[in-house]
Amino acid sequence: MKIVLYFHVHQPWRLARFRYFDLGSGRSYFDDARNREIFLRIADKCYRPALGRLAEALDTHPEFRLSLSITGTWIEQARADAPDVIELVRRLVRTGRVALVGETYYHSLAFLLPPPELAEEVDLHRTALLETFGVEPKVLRMTELAYSDELARFAEQQGFKGMLAEGWEGMLRGRPPTQRYFSAVAPAVSVLVRHYPLSDDVGFRFSSRSWSEYPLTSEKYARWLAETPGDLIGLFLDFETLGEHHPASSGILDFLSALPTAVRSHPHLGWATVEEALEAPVGGSVSAPTTVTWADQNRDLGAWLGNDLQRSAFEAAKGLGRLLHHLDDPELLTLWRKLITSDHFYYMYLGGHGADADVHQYFSSYGNPYDAYANYMNALTDLRQRAQARIDAAAAETRAPVAR
Amino acid sequence: MPAEPPPVVEPDPTAEESTPDRTLEAFSDPPRWIRRPVRAGPAPLRLLTRRLHILMIGWEFPPRSTGGLGVHCYELVQELAAMGHHVTFTVPVPGEYSEVRGVHMRWPMRRSGQRWFPAYEPPVGEMPDPMGTVDGYNHWIAQLALREEVDVLHVHDWFGTVGAVKLARRLRRPLVMTVHSTEYDRSLGHPWTDVLEREKVGLAGADRIIAVSRHTKDQLVERYGVAPERVNVVYNAVRPSERIGQLDPARPTVLYLGRLAAMKGVDTFLQAAARVAARNPNVVFIVAGEGPEFPRLLKLSAQLGLGDRVLFLGRVTEEERMGLLARTSVFVLPSVIEPFGITALEAMAAGIPTILSKTSGVAEVVGSAFVVDFWDVDEFASRMTELLAYPALSRTMGAAGRAEATQVGWAERALETARIYAELVQTRGSSR
Repeated sequence: MKIVLYFHVHQPWRLARFRYFDLGSGRSYFDDARNREIFLRIADKCYRPALGRLAEALDTHPEFRLSLSITGTWIEQARADAPDVIELVRRLVRTGRVALVGETYYHSLAFLLPPPELAEEVDLHRTALLETFGVEPKVLRMTELAYSDELARFAEQQGFKGMLAEGWEGMLRGRPPTQRYFSAVAPAVSVLVRHYPLSDDVGFRFSSRSWSEYPLTSEKYARWLAETPGDLIGLFLDFETLGEHHPASSGILDFLSALPTAVRSHPHLGWATVEEALEAPVGGSVSAPTTVTWADQNRDLGAWLGNDLQRSAFEAAKGLGRLLHHLDDPELLTLWRKLITSDHFYYMYLGGHGADADVHQYFSSYGNPYDAYANYMNALTDLRQRAQARIDAAAAETRAPVAR
Repeated sequence: MPAEPPPVVEPDPTAEESTPDRTLEAFSDPPRWIRRPVRAGPAPLRLLTRRLHILMIGWEFPPRSTGGLGVHCYELVQELAAMGHHVTFTVPVPGEYSEVRGVHMRWPMRRSGQRWFPAYEPPVGEMPDPMGTVDGYNHWIAQLALREEVDVLHVHDWFGTVGAVKLARRLRRPLVMTVHSTEYDRSLGHPWTDVLEREKVGLAGADRIIAVSRHTKDQLVERYGVAPERVNVVYNAVRPSERIGQLDPARPTVLYLGRLAAMKGVDTFLQAAARVAARNPNVVFIVAGEGPEFPRLLKLSAQLGLGDRVLFLGRVTEEERMGLLARTSVFVLPSVIEPFGITALEAMAAGIPTILSKTSGVAEVVGSAFVVDFWDVDEFASRMTELLAYPALSRTMGAAGRAEATQVGWAERALETARIYAELVQTRGSSR
């Protein structure tokens, strides 16, 4: 039984308040000061201490393995604001026991856009990993752990050997989440699934005093892992679980440090990176005609495209994308890509299930979804006007004879 | 609720002979319910189910009301009556008030020869001696004789505090005071002593105080030194209403509806309107309401070049108001200070996307609205334009705001109020 420990590392570029009357002003859409402040805070509370603990664990436990997916938006912010954190990740990667996972550079909803956007973003990300860490990913994860047959086909075309997905009952159809699957439509692509009850024990419940299992010790958790039958256990978590979602005072970092030792006392348990997990015995094929994600109670796209605000904003972004793909302007294209980062749509979530609404509010950078939507639409409208101005200028240029 | 024909008021000079001051002797129609036996011994435990006789000392009542106070009283007594309580409601002047079953209106009358006249001039508009009316009203309250024993007295704002405190002491019954707004708020920090003193009499003499928002409660604690545990917050509510009529997409309309007073922030509304109007040639701005600031605001709108873009409607009737709401695309409550802001809740209940100032009490209870600093003209302008420019936004916010504004109704608010009565009656009952 191999434990596939995997963390997702991401920070979005949050928007500044961009008023309707800022249209055409040339003001930046992004709140650089605030993004920097947040990044530095999380670097202190989470990235530095947690990466340090992981490095120690790798040093003292030769059998310990983990995997990371790191977005391009995170890499850029880390480079600018806390380059030492990049160095800490490099140190992990150099052990050879940490696999990096491919995804979209901008943590975007590009998988819902017409080609070639998704392929271009995955390429950008591949290049960034290669340049920053000297590693090329073999396994793909899509934003918010989205998985579908179509995405498996895409992964196959792009040469990926595996994809990550939520171990959702609807997709597994009664089969356990503890084995490797392969895509029914792209058999060359393995599907590694998240064991969500065990993942959420750490991700959501760890610091909850009302939880019957509180406090969760590494010994107890290792015992649960050992008692789980199967070949693989996918523990897929946000990296910010380590010190940010659960503060250091909750004991999460000590829990993490002690886990490899606790696991070692169960001889049949071991660790595997997502790439090593591709060698595990195969349990059968999975099919996902519609997209499955790791979010909310429904595990669908409702968290990003569930309401009218979100759909209307995304449609507007989609329309602008078509325009920009015809316009050869890397600056505007980059701005647009920063605007299709999934987080912006997540902030427009209107609520619904109580627990889900709390999670959304925790991650939101706005007072309410209307603020998020209006601000986003202002920025997008401004970008559209800029694109239109370029198009008009180009048209005027081709029309005007070279008179002067 | 349409106002029914008023009852024919036949003063009965023999009904309350004990009233010592003949000039202030006053009558309206006698109570219709049967007198209950005087209660002896401790109060029964199931007080919420016991019918109380509530003497409510008001100032205005629909349709003769200028602000949230009258609406609040009307809705409150209606729900209290529906719960089985009896309410005697006093106002300073006679009139054709909306009739509510189980609620008995009383006002002071004076007799001249064989005929009865209103004791005071109507307190509407400019009055020669407003405090004369207030003093007379309080004097009448203090002397008031009732056929049925009162369980609890409830006074609204400062108008009737002096009389209410005296009467409560005389009857040995608990007094509740609701503060709809404080004099500090109304005067933007320059209180009128006559009013302030009356407020203080009420705040000191009441057994419990109800504030219409947390903001108002904070004011009472900070400015008036009222102990926080004596103050309960009971918010206003609205009735769900159907939005009649259609929006005209060619003439998007932004509405301010309220009194034209300094604390209302109509300046900000006009300044923001000027910014919006410059970019959106079709938008119409409406200022509905009357008040002392009207001449200045009219001048300001001219200075801002809004002459043909802002319509000043003056006072609107209930019917006109419904018609107005039906045509409104965006509702704005720009108040510098707004103890509650019931008009905004009404607009939201009608499905209109709404922009609130952060300092309004209503912003404490709703989330489906834009909330803006009252001084931030650019932000008001931007929010107005956003609601006009993005249909998905105004549609979604309108629907969510409607659901939110109507989720807690007057019945719940009346229940919260009745709980306070019960608590007080029980304490009094067991201590006597």
